[in-house]
Amino acid sequence: MPHFRSLRWKIVLLAALACASMALTVGVLVHDSVLRRSMHEGAGRAHVALATALEDATVAGEDGPRVSPGELPEALLRQVEHGGEATLYENEPPAPVFWAARREGGKLYAVEVDMTADLLTRQALDRHMWKYSLLTLGVVVPATALATELPARRLRRVARTARRITAGDLDARTGTVRGGDEVAEISAVVDSMADSLQQRIDTEQRFTADVAHELRTPLMGLVTSAELLPEGEVTDMVQSRVRVLRDLVEDLLEISRLDAGAETSQPGPVDLAALVRDSVARTGLAARVTEREAAVVESDPRRLDRIVSNLVVNAHRHGAGRVEIAVAGRTVTVRDHGPGFPADLLSHGPQRFRTGSAERGHGHGLGLTIASGQARVIGATLDFANAPDGGAVATLSLPQDGPPSEV
Amino acid sequence: MSDSVSAPAPAPVTVLLVEDDEVIRRSVAMALERYGYRVLVAADGLTGLELFREGRHDLLLLDVMLPGLDGIGLCRRIRETATDPILMMSARGDALDVVSGLEAGADDYVVKPVDTPVLVARIRSLLRRAAFVPPVAEPAGPAEPAGPLVFGDLSLDPAALEVRRGGERIALAPTELRLLLEFAAHPGIVLDRQTLLREVWDYGWDGDTRVVDLCVQRLRKKIGAEHVETVRGFGYKWKR
Repeated sequence: MPHFRSLRWKIVLLAALACASMALTVGVLVHDSVLRRSMHEGAGRAHVALATALEDATVAGEDGPRVSPGELPEALLRQVEHGGEATLYENEPPAPVFWAARREGGKLYAVEVDMTADLLTRQALDRHMWKYSLLTLGVVVPATALATELPARRLRRVARTARRITAGDLDARTGTVRGGDEVAEISAVVDSMADSLQQRIDTEQRFTADVAHELRTPLMGLVTSAELLPEGEVTDMVQSRVRVLRDLVEDLLEISRLDAGAETSQPGPVDLAALVRDSVARTGLAARVTEREAAVVESDPRRLDRIVSNLVVNAHRHGAGRVEIAVAGRTVTVRDHGPGFPADLLSHGPQRFRTGSAERGHGHGLGLTIASGQARVIGATLDFANAPDGGAVATLSLPQDGPPSEV
Repeated sequence: MSDSVSAPAPAPVTVLLVEDDEVIRRSVAMALERYGYRVLVAADGLTGLELFREGRHDLLLLDVMLPGLDGIGLCRRIRETATDPILMMSARGDALDVVSGLEAGADDYVVKPVDTPVLVARIRSLLRRAAFVPPVAEPAGPAEPAGPLVFGDLSLDPAALEVRRGGERIALAPTELRLLLEFAAHPGIVLDRQTLLREVWDYGWDGDTRVVDLCVQRLRKKIGAEHVETVRGFGYKWKR
């Protein structure tokens, strides 16, 4: 069932409105003109009746249809006083009548003509107009609803495709569209948009893959050669710098893959508490993990691990005091007791190679950028804040599990 | 891994390394020799193929990007006839390289730059798979030698490590065989990818589960897709 604000219902409503207003206009005009004709005829008939009655009376030598002023409606009397002769329609029980009255030689004559048949005819006409207007509406509204179903369905298909593309399914296409209307046009535009998006991402991905190759090949030679050096102080220095360089290259490659949209989530069931514990243990850094109703989530364990370990490493590198990690439901909170996140990070989010302030120490500021990027890939949100009693607080909130069919 | 430096491999295991970058080729060869391996080197795919045909190696270590015949093409050519353990080295590490390497029949892959201890651990795990003595052979009832396990048209002799389909012998790469034995040991039970990674590939928690998916695909192609059922969102199940 489409939403009540759907275009389809708007079109149906419009058609109904057009129908109704046309029926109303025609109805009012017809009603009015019939009434006018009927009044005209009624007046004529009353007039003729009065004249006939007076004539008959003269021929017969009798007095005409005399009435006392009290018997006549006041409006009729006033007209008679004014013009000597008048007619008036009076629709009052027991029956609608047309009066004709004349003052002649100081005497007041009047007749009334019964208008019941006339009234019934007009009422019947009104009823008919109502009935057929409603009948027309009853046909037009469902017919419009049916006729708009096809374009509505085509539009919904376009919307569905666009939604799938947004959700990351870049192979989604509306496909061949019949007809040359606006729906066909928007379908074609959505498809070509997806094509160009796909193309751009492909190019980006190829580029990052090539960059990775170009950087890693000499790095691999460097890493293995450095391992072959005889033990010594210089070797330690070289090896330590090689490690830093290697981590940096990997971080940069990871960021460029994230930027290129080359990363896709590979979800599976994850015990959040266990993952966080393992992840913290692998960093080899001290941190206290508490858990409360930790959930089993549908997510990508490798990306979750990247996020958690980057947050923990960052807390150790730039924060101070105890690092505390709380797993509650579907959220993971990492906090330290250092100076907190710099204002720049709180307002703009993590930016590569910007650690913000000197007091947060040295480092390349890539860890939080990676954590944010990976959180985006798994559809989670990563918020940065400072605790009121000091210390940086990073909160990772995982989305609700989607239906398994979307995996 | 710390014990590995002092304990050289008991019999000299020969690794055939095909790598075009000279520094990597020489340094990896030297590093592996320190671990007690013999190393044969080739700088391009065709030379690698020739050395492979001489058959003096126990394991192949292939770079993906090679001049002439690339690592994936080389792997495919080798898999046409042989089931030797193959480890791929990729500097790109993106889905395309990894997937095409594994589809071509590689048993495992590493992304450059790789530390020598990690490389050696992968090589050992792969060699273990190649010289695998399966636990399924343990007799559950009487002590008679376990006969071949039969699943439909498929018969699997865990002692002789022979797999036949419709009477015809199938050649399985070490990883495929190990995966098959793992499935056959747990008929009707869903095995998730992490478990398979741990049991078959000796990975810790963080292995790339695509390795499992692609190896299952290759196995299905060889033994018939009907034996392994995919359980969506969990893993795979061997049909009794």
